Amino acid sequence: MNSQAIVNLASVAPGSTVRIHSCVELHILVSRRLLDLGITVGSEIHMKRKAPFGGPITCESNGQMFGIRRQEAKKIEVILR
Amino acid sequence: MRTIALAGNPNTGKTSLFNTLTKSYEYVGNWSGVTVEKKVGLLRNKQGQLVDLPGIYSLHPLSSDESVAANFLLTESPDAVLNIIDSSQLERNLYLTIQLLEYNKPFLIGLNMIDVAKSRGIHVDTEKLSTMLHVPVLPIVARTGQGTNQMMSHLSEPHLPSSHFRIDYGPIVEQAILTFIGEIQQYEHLPNPRWLGLQFLENNPVVIDTLSNIMPMEPLRALYQQTEEALRESSEALHLPQFIRSVRMDFIRQLMEQCVDRQHAQAHSLTERIDAIITHKWLGLPIFLAFMFLLFKLTFDWFGQPLSDLLDGFIGGPISDMVNQALTAVGASEFTHALIVDGIIAGVGGVLVFIPQIFMLFFLISFVEDSGYMARVTLVMDRVMEMVGLNGKSFIPFIIGFGCNVPAVMAARSIEQPKERLVTTLLTPLMSCSARLPVYSLFVGAFFVSHKAAVVFSLYLLGIVLALLLAKLFTHLFYTGEKSMFVIEIPPYRMPQARSLLRNTWEKGKGFIRKAGTFILGGSVVIWFLSYAGPSGFGVDMDHSFLALIGGIFAPILAPVGFGTWQAGASLLTGFMAKEIVVSTMNIIYHTPDMAGLETQIKHAFTPLQAYSFMAFILLYVPCLATVGVIRKETASMRWTLFSIAYGLVLAYTVSVLIYQIGLWIGLT
Repeated sequence: MNSQAIVNLASVAPGSTVRIHSCVELHILVSRRLLDLGITVGSEIHMKRKAPFGGPITCESNGQMFGIRRQEAKKIEVILR
Repeated sequence: MRTIALAGNPNTGKTSLFNTLTKSYEYVGNWSGVTVEKKVGLLRNKQGQLVDLPGIYSLHPLSSDESVAANFLLTESPDAVLNIIDSSQLERNLYLTIQLLEYNKPFLIGLNMIDVAKSRGIHVDTEKLSTMLHVPVLPIVARTGQGTNQMMSHLSEPHLPSSHFRIDYGPIVEQAILTFIGEIQQYEHLPNPRWLGLQFLENNPVVIDTLSNIMPMEPLRALYQQTEEALRESSEALHLPQFIRSVRMDFIRQLMEQCVDRQHAQAHSLTERIDAIITHKWLGLPIFLAFMFLLFKLTFDWFGQPLSDLLDGFIGGPISDMVNQALTAVGASEFTHALIVDGIIAGVGGVLVFIPQIFMLFFLISFVEDSGYMARVTLVMDRVMEMVGLNGKSFIPFIIGFGCNVPAVMAARSIEQPKERLVTTLLTPLMSCSARLPVYSLFVGAFFVSHKAAVVFSLYLLGIVLALLLAKLFTHLFYTGEKSMFVIEIPPYRMPQARSLLRNTWEKGKGFIRKAGTFILGGSVVIWFLSYAGPSGFGVDMDHSFLALIGGIFAPILAPVGFGTWQAGASLLTGFMAKEIVVSTMNIIYHTPDMAGLETQIKHAFTPLQAYSFMAFILLYVPCLATVGVIRKETASMRWTLFSIAYGLVLAYTVSVLIYQIGLWIGLT
């Protein structure tokens, strides 16, 4: 069996790297903004840190850092490697 | 004259380049959304004018500052396009480049931050990029000006060849473009039809809006539907815009493979180390608050205040004496003498002494803007802002508002959701701007000498806390079902350059000096005259002057707030023009040429509790005239403008009454 597992981005531990599998559930404005930053299905994402009390998460993709809310991150399915 | 549009992704250094190429001094910073409207400047060699457009990721706008660029290309038809690209983020930047190239105007690419890319091990083959896109590519470093001379001479060449760039979008879309061109043929004053067609098929709202104003949309809508259906049937894509994007992305991927070597690319190690502390899970918020406190310490205690005191001594002493002697020597009339010494020197001089403090504050705010901390603050604050119905980005206008509310209100443009933007616009005036600083400085100097920074800090916090509470109320009242959103690009840290910092500080601070020479000068003369004249003639005792009469109307209303005197009423009334005028008015009313004298006078007129209540009232009561003007412009609504004044008055009155009455009740005096 292959060891790939699909989880949501919010559940990924800081320090790990994942790949976006799907983001169809995402609000259109959010997915457009991510697309503007070059982030879409297939993009590799490195989880940097999570703010406390359910605050936003900070990630990096292709040398670009960005912040996104946790509820939105929950709607992004990623493949763990 | 030739018009050149300057376009590119946010935070790629367009305005830095604009400032270098035009000798203008526009506002620059290290976050996305510094420039929110187009700025026009004359090229240094006077061979054309450059139009600095707000940063965009694509021509399809999400926020109102982003629609400026698409609108400009649609309606103003520039003679050439200068596209700035961040070399370390080439792939993402090239998407906009393709949309701009399709506009088929003379084109030049400035590959900016080539030094940053190099130090991060990213190598870009500019020659090859130029060959593949069929346009010239110039590597530059806009911050230092490297490469900008070549750029200038290129832009000034008598004949600039047009870009003939085109991508083949496959038979279905190409057919649709041809049909579209046929449909719009008869209409004039439209830009390149192929570009327009592609933008229409991408569902660009600005383009659709423009087209629907000049022609029937039915045939175009049908064309869109048919094309999308055809794509679905051939199972190429589900959505038309998505298909167009994917064709472009494929092209960019090929381009990247050929032109960019990222093999030795490495992360921003310094940025990572700083972020590990600054945006630390638990330390992030305390660090932000500590930084704010440091800002006030520097402004009020350690640096700004001592300098202001020196200046005060100079204006109150040697300058006043000199003017006095000069006036006596030339035999000036008593009227002129009083006007100049009691009116102008007291009024304008009383405000000018705050220059060191205000410049210190602007310097520190410029540092926050240039360093890259701004985007981090939005991250740290987003959770709190979300609880009150806004998002972290609303905090950018709030911080800028500590300097001046006018640019702060404009900075709210980069907020995507209309309701969040409106609420941010309405609440930004609660941020304590530099114009309120002279008032605080005067009162803390008189009453709270040992806790200056702490007392002022408490006022700033009061403004923030009230803004947050009202945000909760307003977003609840104006509920529209609109979803709150927050995605922010986080730039790498940059060490602010001394030149840019000083220039930024000066640009912000000179507005204060200009105000002193216009509004405050004029206001002082009027106030002095009203205090000099009364129903019984000129040179009356001030308690029987027109000013006392007018101020007296408000005195009874202000009694519960703790300062029911005509002097306070008159100062608050004049303070609407600009909040510094409160201090000018007091200088004139209490007949003192310098701060030290005024502080003594104020001590007789107010108790510490009344003083605090008065400062809170000044903080909250109404936005100044200039801010009201910009709110009117940004909301495009008289109703919201009046609302911003009305809620301020109600809030100021309520809060000050509470402070004063509770203070009395618990036994403070």
